[in-house]
Amino acid sequence: MKVSEVPQEVTYYEGERRACYALNDEGRYVVVPSIGWSIEEVVNGQAVAELAAQLEDTRQAVVAGLKSPLCYHMERRQMIPEILALTAGIARFRVKRHLRPDIFNKLNPSVLNRYARALAVSLEELQTVPHNKLKRKVTIIHDHRSNRRR
Amino acid sequence: MTTELTANGKPFVHHHGAHCETAVTSALFGNQGLDVSEPMIFGIGSGIFFGYLPMVKLVHLQVTAFRNKPGSVFRKAAKRLGANFVIKTYRDPQKGMDELRQVLKAGHIVGLATNLYWLPYVSERHRHNFGGHNIIVLRETEAGFRISDPTFDHPMDCSADGLERARFVPGPMNPRGFMYYTKSVQPHPDLRQACIKGMKNSCGLMLRIPLPIFGVRGMRFLAKKIIKSPDKLGFQEACRSLAGTVRWVEETGTGGAGFRYMYAAFMQEAAELFGSDELARLSRDMTAIGDTWREFSVTAARIIKQRDKEAETFAKAGGLILKCADREEAFFKELQKVVKKLEA
Repeated sequence: MKVSEVPQEVTYYEGERRACYALNDEGRYVVVPSIGWSIEEVVNGQAVAELAAQLEDTRQAVVAGLKSPLCYHMERRQMIPEILALTAGIARFRVKRHLRPDIFNKLNPSVLNRYARALAVSLEELQTVPHNKLKRKVTIIHDHRSNRRR
Repeated sequence: MTTELTANGKPFVHHHGAHCETAVTSALFGNQGLDVSEPMIFGIGSGIFFGYLPMVKLVHLQVTAFRNKPGSVFRKAAKRLGANFVIKTYRDPQKGMDELRQVLKAGHIVGLATNLYWLPYVSERHRHNFGGHNIIVLRETEAGFRISDPTFDHPMDCSADGLERARFVPGPMNPRGFMYYTKSVQPHPDLRQACIKGMKNSCGLMLRIPLPIFGVRGMRFLAKKIIKSPDKLGFQEACRSLAGTVRWVEETGTGGAGFRYMYAAFMQEAAELFGSDELARLSRDMTAIGDTWREFSVTAARIIKQRDKEAETFAKAGGLILKCADREEAFFKELQKVVKKLEA
């Protein structure tokens, strides 16, 4: 890859830049900061969209009373019951039980506090889910080079 | 490149690097007055690798590693360059943070392993629950800590709470407060010997591991899986795993093309060190291999976007990886021969 070929297509790192190794005119490798490549944006966008869709499914399940709010907050932090169990210091089988709304509603405050601390949310937040879909701040500004074929 | 002050008032130059671990190691050496570039650390520490681990999953996707396991590049480079590091992990977060503050006050800069999800300054879409991200802490400030994260092009501020959480949160690859700083550095290490060791080790890793998921054989395994994936998993699911693979090639701080460009940069530096034309030629070969990996990424993105369905198929994407495998096999076999002729 030459310096002129280092992708500068989308401001995908939200203002930050990433280092790429590329050959300069004398054929030496140098570090070139890149603001983002549309290919990466495609694959990352897919992963982000997938997580968001899954989270939205869970939110609706919570609203419908099929899952506990704990499940929503766990998924929001990209955790699975095993990891949440380690983080909160609560046995794995108990965490799995607490994903059921009827059992979650009966939990006493000390257990809820441990979950709240592990997930970095307040107690009130932990017991509810947002009314609307969580909006992620994703800013993608295409510039003139994005149309160029590579 | 920005200059910052450390706790005892010494200047520290922040370099923008492609990968966290190699750049942190390079910066720790640089702070002790030994100038070793990031690609050099990568080569000496035998960073280049390939491993396809279908049984290990991170965020529901199988791991495709283009580098050796986290921590090994740092350890190998330190050993081969004759540097002594203090390496510690902690059970008690409070103790870990207290010791960090003490070490900073003593005037050291400290490398830490942290969880990428909980670092407060990382943008929302780049947060993964991955506990092997390396950063350097420069000094304590009123608001928290001043951090040099080499994957960003300028130093960052991080709150003390955020840092504590990032260091100690359990998860895949639990960092357990992993912390390291230099005890002593050999001022004039035998770079040539270290390079030879690194290259020989890399050849072994790429060609000789008798399991079909590592090295060149691993690439072929992955390629065959990708070719079969739309029939086996269905188009949607196949796209998902393909996108996951491309993220491992490009997104995980690789400097482009799954570390292949960084290794080419190392070959170039080594060629100058030994004055060897053969190494310079191998560097150009590696650049070409990197270009092929990038071609794979482009093809994969087009499959996912469903552009030009006739030409951009899973068979083509898999074929490109097979091509990479053939070329890398030839590359490392050639390197094995060239290394034997080099003199330390």
